Amino acid sequence: MKKIYIAIVLLICLSMNSCKHDEWFERDSKQTITDEQLWNDPKLVTSLLANYYNRLPTLHGVFNTGGMTEIDDAMWSGHRDQNWRNDFQFGDDYGRYWDYGFIRDINLSLENLETQSTKLTELQKRLFKAELRFIRAFVYFEMVKRMGGVPIVEKQLVYDFSGDPTPLQVPRAKEYEVYDFIFQEMEAIKDDLVPNNSSKTRTNRYTALALESRAMLYAASIAKYNNLMAAPITTPGGEVGIPAAMANDYYTKSLNASREIIRGPYALFNENSDKGTNFYDMLNKKTGSEVIFAKDFATSLKVHRFAYDNIIKSMTEDNESSSTISPSLSLVESFDYLDGTKGTLRNKDAAGNYIAYTGIADIFANKDARLYGTVIYPGTTFKNNLVRIQAGVAVWDNGSYQLSTSAELGKNYTDGLVWTGFDGPKNDATDVSNTGFYIRKFVSDAPAASTRGTSAANWWPWFRLGEIYLNAAEAAFELGQGEGLGYINSLRQRAGFPANSLSALTMDIIRNERRVELAFEDHRYFDLKRWRLAHVVWDGSENDPNAVVMGLYGYRISRPGHPDNGKFIYERIRPSRFRRARFFRLANYYSSIDQAVLNNNPKIVRNPFQ
Amino acid sequence: MKLNFLITLTATASLLMAGCKYDNFEAPETTLSGRVVYEGKALGVRNNGPQLELWQDGHALKTKIPVYLNQDGTFSASLFNGRYKLVRMGDSPWLQQAADTIIVNVNGNTTVDVPVTPYFTITNESFQKSGNTITAQFAVNKIVPSANVELVRLYLGKSILTDQVQRELRVDGNTGTLVFGQSTSIAGNIPDNLKNLDYVFARLGVKSTSSSEYIYTAIQKIALK
Repeated sequence: MKKIYIAIVLLICLSMNSCKHDEWFERDSKQTITDEQLWNDPKLVTSLLANYYNRLPTLHGVFNTGGMTEIDDAMWSGHRDQNWRNDFQFGDDYGRYWDYGFIRDINLSLENLETQSTKLTELQKRLFKAELRFIRAFVYFEMVKRMGGVPIVEKQLVYDFSGDPTPLQVPRAKEYEVYDFIFQEMEAIKDDLVPNNSSKTRTNRYTALALESRAMLYAASIAKYNNLMAAPITTPGGEVGIPAAMANDYYTKSLNASREIIRGPYALFNENSDKGTNFYDMLNKKTGSEVIFAKDFATSLKVHRFAYDNIIKSMTEDNESSSTISPSLSLVESFDYLDGTKGTLRNKDAAGNYIAYTGIADIFANKDARLYGTVIYPGTTFKNNLVRIQAGVAVWDNGSYQLSTSAELGKNYTDGLVWTGFDGPKNDATDVSNTGFYIRKFVSDAPAASTRGTSAANWWPWFRLGEIYLNAAEAAFELGQGEGLGYINSLRQRAGFPANSLSALTMDIIRNERRVELAFEDHRYFDLKRWRLAHVVWDGSENDPNAVVMGLYGYRISRPGHPDNGKFIYERIRPSRFRRARFFRLANYYSSIDQAVLNNNPKIVRNPFQ
Repeated sequence: MKLNFLITLTATASLLMAGCKYDNFEAPETTLSGRVVYEGKALGVRNNGPQLELWQDGHALKTKIPVYLNQDGTFSASLFNGRYKLVRMGDSPWLQQAADTIIVNVNGNTTVDVPVTPYFTITNESFQKSGNTITAQFAVNKIVPSANVELVRLYLGKSILTDQVQRELRVDGNTGTLVFGQSTSIAGNIPDNLKNLDYVFARLGVKSTSSSEYIYTAIQKIALK
């Protein structure tokens, strides 16, 4: 009897627990996302796009502290292990960018959206595809502005194992063909991007127009200025060089795109009555409607360490690093005075004697307010604290001033007053300004932003209205149309100049406006390239104040009994850590193509001078 | 104890020494040297400026061997014996030849003269010092008929490496009145920071519009005292 019970129980156990439900074996993997899942879930596609947005290329941008110290706007004052940035020559491969891995990723996504996606609505698909095509065009723009014409690949290239790789070998397109490709792509997708119009971190209709505005301006100025060179840089097949006759068409396309953005929902940031602070807030705060497209950051989620790298010495919240970017005197002097005169600082009179100023900031009085928003100079504040920039004391001795600095920062002189300020500047020192200036733009003033634990979360503007105004002004000026003056004057009015401060434009004015308005925003290197001025400005000459990063040191006068006692004088200096003048050769206009690329694809033509 | 120590030392040494023979590549031992010449004369260039390239066929992948020029136009490279292709690169003060390859067979130490066609040359140069002024007399010759002269310059410097980049004084000559092949002059005042030296170095350079590099004369040492 007992055996029967046991048998029954056993039987029940066996039969009940048998796997009737096969799903138990077919659970979704927790490690892998299949194509089917990915391309049918808008959330997953969005997060894929986030990865691609994060990979948008840049040369000196997106808080690239090192890159920003490689041109004439600044030098490197951080750790000595990167002092090569003050002692290098643009190599033939400088700025080389050839990212067909990324292009393939985008092409693959575009094809999969077509073939694998069944559950997305037509509208969603169109939007995602337009975003992908924007990113692809952005990557092509970055390639063409550095390398010249590159192969245009719009599909995945798959090897068929036939033993013949020639179908995979795509030759370089002509330089203008790549710019035309960017234009056509933007025209084709801009209306599909309208659903994103409220977003500043995903591309929308105006972002596409902004890329058009910038890219067409580049194409136009290469067409114009390359052919004005004594020996234009070209290749026989047109991979490099754009015919001069195309310039007007490109300027017109750029101007049309800019006009459409200006008519759009954007406005110059104007939230603070203090013009200098306003200019700083424009990029530091995420409010207002100046920024068109930005790479966003968020505390504790995605952060960057630009504030850690560049916080002014006396306000560091962390150890080991600060004050890395030291802006140059030539950048500071490119900011005009508000009365319209050139921005050259008056530290000596015509006879070569020092001019004494009552306050240490007085030499910078009445400057373009963008100087305050871009650079920290003596006598200003940061985070509501006074900065302590003073190089030393000038002692009157036997008919001339002896400039004396203390070995240690923040020491007092024998008269009990400041000797060298805690913020320096100090020549040949690390982690303190070597030029007498610190960077303010992009350095976040949020609490603990300069600690490595918290880090900064201010965003990076890819496109903003200020640039579009400048693009429009330049294109209009080149086309001989008068509307450019108004755009430049509005930008200058925002910077504290009176209304209609300029009555006529010149190319030099436009170029200088671009330098001061867009400093440290990854424009200058490419601007000088497309104007074919880089080899003139950065001529490698050790005596040229444009090619050499200079500094300005302020000293307090110690001359008891004299009316100048306690006033300040300024000395132009060449920081000894800055070792070699910036030297841009004709070969740098187009970066050399990697030998591995040439080895793999015999159809690729070398760049000139390579 | 002493014996032990010696044995250990010998054992370690022999272990370490034995390894080296097999996993090291031989270093190239032959030297290819030469000059960049026009009509048999070496051309002066900027230190660390123009370059030549060496390539070797017969391998699946190619990598260039860069060859830098000294400022007197000489160069040298350490190589293995073999057959090389020598290429004159662009953005130099001479024509970039379309068929620009020179075959060089390196077998033991080899010397080769690389002929180039400079856009311009400077000949018959002489430097005179009178008081605080240094005057250079020279003639600029046009070699490439289509070339245009952009700048003719006199340089003064403290060091023997004086050129467009490294110099204390630069004086532009008047290219408007320049007649090719005829003697002309540039005068420069010695700057204050050089006045008290025992000697300075002087050099002339001429640049065509087609290149960012200059052709220079040989460096001239001028005694000031």
